[in-house]
Amino acid sequence: MGIDLHSIMQGFMTVFQPENLLYVMFGGFLGTIVGMLPGLGPATAVAVLIPVTFGMDPTSALILMATIYYGAMYGGSVSSILLNTPGDGSAVAATFDGHIMAKQGKAGQAIAACAIGSLVGGLIAVFGFMILVKPLAHFALAFGPAEYFWLMVFTLSMVVSLSIGKMNKGFISMGIGLLISTIGVDLQTGVYRYTFDIPQLSSGIGLLVVIIGIYAVGEVLYNYLTIDKAKAQKNKLGRVWITKEQWKRIKWLMLRHGPIGFVSGIIPGSGGSAASMQSYSIEKQISKRRDEFGKGAIEGLAAPETSNNAASVGAMVPLLTMGIPSSGTTAVMLGALIMLGLQPGPLLFKNDPNMVWSLIDSMLVGNIFLFLINIFMVGMFVKILDTPPKILYPLILVLAFIGTYTMNFSVVDFYLLIIFGIIGLFLKLFDFPIAPLILALIVGNTMEQNFRRGLAPSDDGFGIFFGSPLSITLVCLTVLSVFYPFIIKQVQKKKNQKNINQDENMQASD
Amino acid sequence: MKYAQYGMPMFFVLISLIYFILTINLPEASLGDPNAPRYFPLMVSVFLFVVSLSYLIQVIRKGEKDNPELKQLFSKRILFLSISTLVLGVIYSFLFLRIGFIPSTILFLGSLLFVVNGWRKWITNIIVAVIFTFVFWYAFEKLLHISLP
Repeated sequence: MGIDLHSIMQGFMTVFQPENLLYVMFGGFLGTIVGMLPGLGPATAVAVLIPVTFGMDPTSALILMATIYYGAMYGGSVSSILLNTPGDGSAVAATFDGHIMAKQGKAGQAIAACAIGSLVGGLIAVFGFMILVKPLAHFALAFGPAEYFWLMVFTLSMVVSLSIGKMNKGFISMGIGLLISTIGVDLQTGVYRYTFDIPQLSSGIGLLVVIIGIYAVGEVLYNYLTIDKAKAQKNKLGRVWITKEQWKRIKWLMLRHGPIGFVSGIIPGSGGSAASMQSYSIEKQISKRRDEFGKGAIEGLAAPETSNNAASVGAMVPLLTMGIPSSGTTAVMLGALIMLGLQPGPLLFKNDPNMVWSLIDSMLVGNIFLFLINIFMVGMFVKILDTPPKILYPLILVLAFIGTYTMNFSVVDFYLLIIFGIIGLFLKLFDFPIAPLILALIVGNTMEQNFRRGLAPSDDGFGIFFGSPLSITLVCLTVLSVFYPFIIKQVQKKKNQKNINQDENMQASD
Repeated sequence: MKYAQYGMPMFFVLISLIYFILTINLPEASLGDPNAPRYFPLMVSVFLFVVSLSYLIQVIRKGEKDNPELKQLFSKRILFLSISTLVLGVIYSFLFLRIGFIPSTILFLGSLLFVVNGWRKWITNIIVAVIFTFVFWYAFEKLLHISLP
């Protein structure tokens, strides 16, 4: 239990192999570039770049994908600061004060604060990861089919319940994902389900076709809506470093928000968006300079940036230990891992510990590398922001088609890609959260297998699903996660009513 | 556009009903429990029906918020861009194996660029289409050793 120094050192030896170091750098560059492009977030970055990992050694592929992921997180903040256009939800908080700082001529300082915060958050989270990962993997071994079934239901309900204000849409999105997961031959009985005599559908709809279709094609079609709008004014960079006074203002808060982000990342469904928003509001409440928030306070930028990068590392904990993705991007990563023939979960630690520890160590190296390139090479990177979207989008589409072809070498997938592109467009237009669909599609099959395996040895039918304390705890957590938003709403309502009453009483007594 | 807001929830209600009908008509398993392949899809179809119906009721009672993006999609320019992209995608799928990767991709990327980037920038469009097709070909075929037609 605890930190396994021997495994950590072995992991470092793998990471420091020239080939893997090259992948860390390559992934960092690619992730930063794609993440920086307005409208494209880490999920799209990983989805579009998955084909690059085909044919690679699984450890190197894993390292490359993880670096692309948090490279995109770093890159997303740059476009938030300079253009006020976040690539995804986790970079939104960076616009609140970051863009204002850029407007005040402090863009370089804002980017440096982001990079420092992200580095500190990333490092804190990697150490947290090293401490937690082994006990968690050990704990996960206690899970039987019934517990796994409930864990997946809990993860799905968490992802949906965090779609604040659109839970119903989240559940529909989840239902569609589960529906798609049942298409193809049922592996336990050999029955063909919903294949309509199309042989290519017998093995089901490829996960990556759905992911690339929704995240790449759907995203491009959606971005067409704003293609003719005038380009946002890019603010000048200036010197990319912070002043001594700014350092004093952010040094302690980073130590606060690293752990907050890490824990938030571990919780299924929470992810970087919730982590960064949480950190922003916590810092706003406790800061001495709370009046400056929203007017270019460096604290308002460093806190969410530290938190969201820590969350992106934290999100890898449930992914690797239990095979449970906790956000849209980790869901995309899980899909890619399955494509590579890997099955994340506790057995991964048993069967291939070096791979897991190499990945964890690569995060440490990757974060330091990303910090350096974001400080010293950001001037070169921001030129990417000048690429006209009218050229960029056709290139992304072509890459999406080629990537899809390389999975099964079948053009039937092209037609599915187009269909899922249209579905992605409409889901975005009607404001449906996409993460529950992807998550449900990924866990759907395993969920069904666990459900049926849970039923098989049991004489009391569904009773087996409530037979252990762990199952009952997970059921309670699922119920709580569904009702949590309503409870919070009611509490808030009562609080507001109380405040109004107090105000009225005070006015009356005056 | 007024009734477009009902389209989405009704579509999902319909999908859940079709899925339910297809599920109860699934063939029985010859091994073990004959209904085993139906259990999980049945749960999903009922769940999807309930949440879709609740969404439909919610839209009928409260109405969906005005959706300017949907209106924008049906504007002449965006509709042209979207439909052209999808049609070119279908043509690309048809030509990909028939005429090979390089010619089909130059045609697809070139046409997309002409549609999206405009005819006036024809030199840029042609240069980008040719160069990037070869870049992609080199990256997949030579660097990643993935065979393309």
